[in-house]
Amino acid sequence: MKIKAQISMVMNLDKCIGCHTCSITCKNVWTNRPGAEYMYFNNVETKPGIGYPKQWENQEKWKGGWELKGGKLQLRSGNKLERLAKLFYHPDQPEMDDYYEPWTYDYETLITSKRKNHQPIARPRSLITQKPMEIKWGPNWEDDLAAGESARQDHNFKNIAEDITLEFHDLFMKYLPRTCNHCLNPACVAACPSGAIYKREEDGVVLVSQDGCRGWRHCIPACPYKKVYFNWKTNKAEKCIFCFPRLENGLPTICADTCVGRLRYIGVLLYDMDKVKDAASTPDKGEIYHSMLDILQDPHDPEVIKAAKDAGIPDNWLKAAQASPVYKMVKEWQVALPLHAEYRTLPMVWYVPPLSPITRRAEADVYLPDVKDMRIPLSYIAELFAAGNVAVVENVLQRLLDMRMVMRAKETGEELPRRLEYDLETYEAMYRLMGIAKYKDRFNIPAGLQEQAEDKLRELQGSCGYNCPGGC
Amino acid sequence: MNEFLYGVLPYIALTIFAGGTIMRYTIYERNWTTKSSEFLSKRDLKWANPLFHIGLLMAFGGHCVGILVPKFMTEAAGTDEHMYHLMSLAGGLPAAVLFLGGFLWLCQRRFAGNDRMQVNTSGMDKLLYLVLLLTIVSGTIGTVSNIPGGFDYRETISPWFRSVLMLQPEVGLMENVPLVFQIHMLSWMMTAMLFPFTRLVHCLSFPFEYLFRSHIIYRKK
Repeated sequence: MKIKAQISMVMNLDKCIGCHTCSITCKNVWTNRPGAEYMYFNNVETKPGIGYPKQWENQEKWKGGWELKGGKLQLRSGNKLERLAKLFYHPDQPEMDDYYEPWTYDYETLITSKRKNHQPIARPRSLITQKPMEIKWGPNWEDDLAAGESARQDHNFKNIAEDITLEFHDLFMKYLPRTCNHCLNPACVAACPSGAIYKREEDGVVLVSQDGCRGWRHCIPACPYKKVYFNWKTNKAEKCIFCFPRLENGLPTICADTCVGRLRYIGVLLYDMDKVKDAASTPDKGEIYHSMLDILQDPHDPEVIKAAKDAGIPDNWLKAAQASPVYKMVKEWQVALPLHAEYRTLPMVWYVPPLSPITRRAEADVYLPDVKDMRIPLSYIAELFAAGNVAVVENVLQRLLDMRMVMRAKETGEELPRRLEYDLETYEAMYRLMGIAKYKDRFNIPAGLQEQAEDKLRELQGSCGYNCPGGC
Repeated sequence: MNEFLYGVLPYIALTIFAGGTIMRYTIYERNWTTKSSEFLSKRDLKWANPLFHIGLLMAFGGHCVGILVPKFMTEAAGTDEHMYHLMSLAGGLPAAVLFLGGFLWLCQRRFAGNDRMQVNTSGMDKLLYLVLLLTIVSGTIGTVSNIPGGFDYRETISPWFRSVLMLQPEVGLMENVPLVFQIHMLSWMMTAMLFPFTRLVHCLSFPFEYLFRSHIIYRKK
């Protein structure tokens, strides 16, 4: 057993209102620079839809993530030699138009225009060529199903047996906020020819070294979530950094901190590094989720604690792992699922799938419907969060419903549901964490390597100050 | 004049080449990149780029043999002048076609294709392409004009280049070299001087080590 710590996030989709505050704060902090205008480290998609970049979920097209070849785990884009041959031209690399061409408006003309019969207008101008352009697509073109037809082209409909026509009477939608998943088995890291992308030893954050990156751009098609971007100005790859400067100081990422719906949770998970490869190689893709749960270790188990200490995980990290809201939702209550586990990257951002109103077909007088009667088809949610395994999604949604029924029964004195999976205290705790969702409860982030830092400070005692490294 | 061109300039060029590259790698590694433009436009890249690079590698290999292997060695191996000339033409002409053809195709893509390519083309790039064009064209004309085999560079240019490397330049060897080859000399020296400050540096970071490393990398901060 080799224990490692991972900073991980849960998003409770039941509460996402699609306001894009996360995307905007992230953009303002990290990607409002020339070369990065088109990048959204965090974006919110309306599902069904083709997403950003277009059709990112279609891995027959992009060849992202891993696949099992003869039972062995291999990058979908080929073995190492095949991949080196693609250095000169990568057939699966997205182009700018797969995202969108960033633009601004000629606001100047509003001020400098001469007197005319008609009001002057600020025409859109490309931020790449600086020439006037016609806006045909944007990062959020499909917001609230606005793009119409493109929703039907959602790749997830491909594998669903039942017919989803998206006619008006059975229309449904949900929001899907997406960031880098900081995977345990990241395809971008494996694909980088220069070895510039790495997982941070202490918290598992996946980063691109801006010094080491040579612009071979293999990470971009390799990431099945298309969350590594090519900066056209610096000609290097960039991606979500999980706001590591904030994490190191015990603060949540900016997307999580500013989330209006308070639906993001951040905490520590402990996992067994030795089992990562086996979990990613689980033959049945519908079972990858369970393999992922298996490699997550119980932070209260004395054996795990000992192994973690042997692996050099600091005490404050262990404490955080024991109080981790993410561990509770992912492993204890099993209400959070990985996005597209079938890509086999073992993503570490988890989603509580959304409940939705009952369809017309169901009885009208029920307070809480059966999970099967919900407006968002189970099979669709299962494509997103359980690699098609409907049973997994059904169980999770049932737990969420049970929680509601228990809490309702408490107020109204109604009878409790006959079969409950957990005891009442557990449902109460679930309610507190997911319903009340206090800031302090949502985030439990140990400040980075505090203990070592304190030792450093002690070493500096008696020297003449901190103004130069190591004292003067 | 020759004293400067063939006795001094090569050292200036090679010094800038080596020193500049080391400096850029140690101080400015952050902008060491292939400067790939595939994100802006995939058009024509699929064929033009591999052809250009294959031509380049062939030309580079041919130059290594022609310059670094002394004549007596190939002759000792049983290859007479005529044979050698035929062999070098058999490799050199296709290389020239691919190299120059690929280069022109890429230039067409860059300067007459998608408008977005502008943001991937700096002033330095334009200078580089001019010098590269001069180098490739002079090399191609030299090869083609010498098909009958009147001029033996292996008795003039090659020993001179080796003498430069041995730090004892024999400028006299370059006296009767045809003009087109002289231009070729000048242009490679210019290329060498530009090398550290352009995208060319990416050739030094061809990721051989990728073949031998493990998939997932963990690193301490």
